[in-house]
Amino acid sequence: MTWTRMLFSYTILMLGVAMCVFPFLYMLSLSLQSDADIFSGVPILIPETLQFSNYIDIWQKAPFARFTLNSIIIAGGITALHLIFDPLIGYVFAKMDFPGKRFMFVAVLSTLMIPFFIRMIPLYILTARMGWLNTYQGLIVPFAMSAYGIFLMRQFIRPIPDDLLDAARIDGCSELGIYWRIVLPQVRPALATLALLTFIFQWNEFLWPLVAVSTTEMRPITTGLTLFNQEFFTQWNMTAAGGVILFIPSLLLFLFTQRYFVRSVMLAGIK
Amino acid sequence: MAAGGSMGAAASTGTGSGARSLFRTRRLGRRAQQTLIAYSLLSPAIIYFTVYFFYPIGLEFWASLFSGQPLIGESRFAGFDNYVTALQDARVRQSVFATLTYAIGVTTASIAIGLGLALLLNQRLPGRTAIRAVIFFPYIISFVIVALIWQAILDPYTGILNGVLANFGMPTQNWLNDSSAALPVIIAITVWKDVGYAMLIYLAALQSIPSDFYEAASIDGASPAQQFRYVTWPLLTPTTLFIAVVSMIGQLQEIAPAYLITNGGPADATRLFSLHVFEAAFFELNIGYASALSFLMFLLILGITFVQFRLLNRDVSY
Repeated sequence: MTWTRMLFSYTILMLGVAMCVFPFLYMLSLSLQSDADIFSGVPILIPETLQFSNYIDIWQKAPFARFTLNSIIIAGGITALHLIFDPLIGYVFAKMDFPGKRFMFVAVLSTLMIPFFIRMIPLYILTARMGWLNTYQGLIVPFAMSAYGIFLMRQFIRPIPDDLLDAARIDGCSELGIYWRIVLPQVRPALATLALLTFIFQWNEFLWPLVAVSTTEMRPITTGLTLFNQEFFTQWNMTAAGGVILFIPSLLLFLFTQRYFVRSVMLAGIK
Repeated sequence: MAAGGSMGAAASTGTGSGARSLFRTRRLGRRAQQTLIAYSLLSPAIIYFTVYFFYPIGLEFWASLFSGQPLIGESRFAGFDNYVTALQDARVRQSVFATLTYAIGVTTASIAIGLGLALLLNQRLPGRTAIRAVIFFPYIISFVIVALIWQAILDPYTGILNGVLANFGMPTQNWLNDSSAALPVIIAITVWKDVGYAMLIYLAALQSIPSDFYEAASIDGASPAQQFRYVTWPLLTPTTLFIAVVSMIGQLQEIAPAYLITNGGPADATRLFSLHVFEAAFFELNIGYASALSFLMFLLILGITFVQFRLLNRDVSY
């Protein structure tokens, strides 16, 4: 590679990196500014004194601890259900033979074309009728599994050699036993991928909680922060501090798993 | 399979015809048994997808045939009146136009920029995994944060971008309150957030193209531009269509930027269809009408997906 080409590549990529990093640093900066800094009329990048008390203030203005707990329960609950159901259903489609299999599989995949937004109104009505508005189950159960997760798991389970499963069958292992003792241990990395993707995307979800929750104490941090922002609009130091609280778990999760995460998205795209 | 088959053959030749027929009935029994097990394992999925996908879509279509508040209050059968009203409503047409502009804008820009970044990152550059991770990062961040950050950056009075403009002696811009700038701005914000996904998918596809193809092309005297035009781009067609389908389905129903950043304004310039449906359903409680709008969007998404998959099936052979 010529050095001009390298210089050209780095210039553009560094511009991209700067554009991706700067907005988050700006949020961090805003969250540490005083009201005087915010309303001085001159945008400030690095505040002279760091006002950490913003973080304590917002904790008192809105129940952010409860919001965070709700987010963990909801995103964690949905992830757990995905880990139970997606590989199990994926296994049935990958390794079992039964009449109507093709039809069932196409039916499951067809749900990819019925995205959440389109089902939102009837889902709201159904959830209200079940008395599940403002409950954890009302926020978790509608997202219990996904065609995408089932498809992903099927793709990873298919390459497991049938001989291995047949050998276990001959040894008297039940279908569930085969699934539990042979299939699941083989697809552990794929399960981690599934868990990671599901958790991160559910952590970010704001539309369903906006619709299905009307009480403050049941809000996850996304809608909690949205309504907080509407209340403290343009008081950017306060809302930015809330943003940082919502941001930190995503950042930490990504930092620890980034190599793995990037690879799994690339893999999921190919499969 | 091979091992199982030969074992079966060995067993049946070894023990005579009686054992063979016994073996066969056991196999038939096994098949019925496996069907039973398969369907009982599938039953949670059958219940889940019926209750949360197929039934709601049917319910929504049913509700769309009533005026007023079907399912929750007073309503009157209205046939396809809601659909007629929707198609004649200028506000609906404006929001469909805004939504198509938004979805196509985000999709084309993500594809163009994502591919550009992927091509750059497909070279042997030190530090490229770190660069890749950083550019991908905004994709996994909640739109709530993204909206907050960009509102703060674009704020006409306290935002950093206007501060920079002021340093160069330029007038204050209120992009989000400018009816010709607001939609391009929310397109740009969404691209900023989502471009990393297109980049990663392209990168994966680029890495799977065998290097022999490029060696052959350069032996034939193809310039890098020609190599891209005649080797890379045609081989990437399925990837491009995949990204286009995923992005279009996602962006057509996206409500976050309209709800969180502009609230549909100014003058309905960013009133995405999703926001229109959301308000009709949950602010005006016009359930029948909102269901019709929602069902229309379902048909639109179905249509676009169908067309794109037809293209995919046609172009996938090269």
